[in-house]
Amino acid sequence: MNSPDLFLLRQTYNEQRIMICFNGPFSKSLIEEIGKALKNYMQSENATPTAATDVFGVYIEMMQNIRHYAAAKGYSDVDAGATVIIGRDEEERYVVSAGNIVDQTDGQYLVSRIDSLGGMDKAALKALYKEQLRKPRPEGAASGAGLGLIDLARKATLPLVCSLRELDDGRAFFSLRVVI
Amino acid sequence: MNDLSIAATQSSPAVNSNWQHGLLSMCGDSYPENSFELFDPVINWVERYLDESDAPLRLELHLLYLNTSSIKAVMDIFDLMEEAHRRSRPVSVCWYYDEDNPRAAELAAEFKEDCSFPFDILSKTS
Repeated sequence: MNSPDLFLLRQTYNEQRIMICFNGPFSKSLIEEIGKALKNYMQSENATPTAATDVFGVYIEMMQNIRHYAAAKGYSDVDAGATVIIGRDEEERYVVSAGNIVDQTDGQYLVSRIDSLGGMDKAALKALYKEQLRKPRPEGAASGAGLGLIDLARKATLPLVCSLRELDDGRAFFSLRVVI
Repeated sequence: MNDLSIAATQSSPAVNSNWQHGLLSMCGDSYPENSFELFDPVINWVERYLDESDAPLRLELHLLYLNTSSIKAVMDIFDLMEEAHRRSRPVSVCWYYDEDNPRAAELAAEFKEDCSFPFDILSKTS
């Protein structure tokens, strides 16, 4: 590996207003620690408790979705990793982006699901959320409440944006961007 | 009576039950990865209490942030209470929230929409 220019990386992060980023395999406790850092960071930036709760909630939901997916698929540590960026956009809104490896067919399903959520207003999302909440949980599922994406869409101020980049082994890199 | 006494962690709330007083309290954030590992004993306690006793049940909740799988589990508890309420069993929820952070109150209000038993949402500072 070439020695990375940390100063350049830092400049890029600052320019793009990235508060926290992470790439690699992660554990349950790492999710919690980064979450704690995120809370502290937002507090030091004088974010409102409401904004802090929303950003934290979106971050947790996205990371746990990725963990549950990788566990369900039995992915190796490397494939079970994630790339996460939490920052702000030009209009001062908080943005949480996360990407992970998925099977291509699952990725395509996710893209179509997110597209369909994108066409729904807050009232329709709430109705869908409540409908999902009423469904019995699948036997043996650790989580899989099926509420995660709808919850993200409800917390977001803009429609969710996702992309799928196909890799050559039947897998793909799925990324999702949530603006709060 | 096998009361629950579960200490809080960073990602899970403190849970305490008191069979004699018909009281169950939960306090803190709830976003464990496997929320049913945490909530199954709680759901079982509520089920057992509602089955084996005739006394009122009161939930005191100081919950802040819940991940979606915790929301699902809490809904399961409220469903048990709703069922009991329909059989004329006195059950109630008091959900306390911090005025600084209305999100917890909004979350509580959404739960309340699906419950017909007494469900108070109270500001801690008022």
